[in-house]
Amino acid sequence: MKRNALVFVALLVAILAMLASGKYLDRARKHGPIKLVGDVQGVPAPDFILPSLDGRKVKLSDFRGKAVLLNFWATWCPPCKVEMPWFEDLQKQYAQDGLVVLGVAMDDSEPATIAKFANELGVNYPVLLGTDKVSDDYGDVQYLPTTFYIARDGTIVDKMTGLLDRKDIENAVKKTLGTTYKPASSPLDQADASVKEAVAAKATPPKDATR
Amino acid sequence: MRRGAASFAILLLLASLVFAQGFGDKPPVEMAPVGNVQVKAGGSKNVTLDFRIGSEYHINSHTPKSPLLIPTVLKLSGPEQVTVADLKYPAGQDVSFPFSPDEKLSVYSGEFTVEAVLKTATNVPAGTYPITGTLRFQACDHSACYPPKNLPVQFQVTVVK
Repeated sequence: MKRNALVFVALLVAILAMLASGKYLDRARKHGPIKLVGDVQGVPAPDFILPSLDGRKVKLSDFRGKAVLLNFWATWCPPCKVEMPWFEDLQKQYAQDGLVVLGVAMDDSEPATIAKFANELGVNYPVLLGTDKVSDDYGDVQYLPTTFYIARDGTIVDKMTGLLDRKDIENAVKKTLGTTYKPASSPLDQADASVKEAVAAKATPPKDATR
Repeated sequence: MRRGAASFAILLLLASLVFAQGFGDKPPVEMAPVGNVQVKAGGSKNVTLDFRIGSEYHINSHTPKSPLLIPTVLKLSGPEQVTVADLKYPAGQDVSFPFSPDEKLSVYSGEFTVEAVLKTATNVPAGTYPITGTLRFQACDHSACYPPKNLPVQFQVTVVK
């Protein structure tokens, strides 16, 4: 009898705990700004080449060694407008530490319209024209704004969706800047010192050869 | 032992219900079924189309305040003899949101109705005719926005002599 009562209480507690977590998750889904998706953390950010508003082709992997803030937005997204001037400020503040901000416009508008919108917000960081493929590669980006924080080694540090507090964004930037990148070593790096000296000597032209 | 297994099964069932509720993927806008629409041949009829927006969302009205915002637009088409002569949209509510407290947006939330004015040709044979189309809308919640969507719209019109 006593055991039954204990089982009942344990069940009740478990059910209440699950109800509470369900409500919390539901509320977070509806109103909560921060949605860190654990399973993308540490995953290599899908590489892409996208055209920028100024006519360049921008390749994500060219920024290896930098901390990249990759923000998906659209001109029809009022919350996106709030974050963009913050990203511009952060870009200025942390550029010397290695921060690169890239905006990806998921928009059907003409590039000129997107450029006008970005200019009015004072955005000077590169704005790229997004494609369905890039959206799919990044897990079907439907909910805007969505921002990926990409470590110096090209892996995803965080994914955040919805409008956040500026402080949360800056914290994510600092965390991303704190990552390290060690370029893949060449066979020469692994060779012993004498081999390196020999290669260096061969690469340096003799003094009289310059005359 | 058997009772313990049963309790565990109930627990699992409840857990799945809770999580199903938490991550449910209900569309932001739904259309209420349209009742029987009857119209005389050669006559016209106003049909009200009722839409319901999920409690956590809002959508732009038919006349948003910025050309960059995507308006709610209903497009209907029917057979040649039954035409959509006019569509009447409600005015939007001017609302400011936490993401932009200084700016008011013209939106629909909760329920809204679009009125479609149908006209029939005098020579239309009696019978039932389908009217089909889409409601294009773009929804946001309090912190983010979804891409524009097209909600299928369909109802029948019965033409009588």
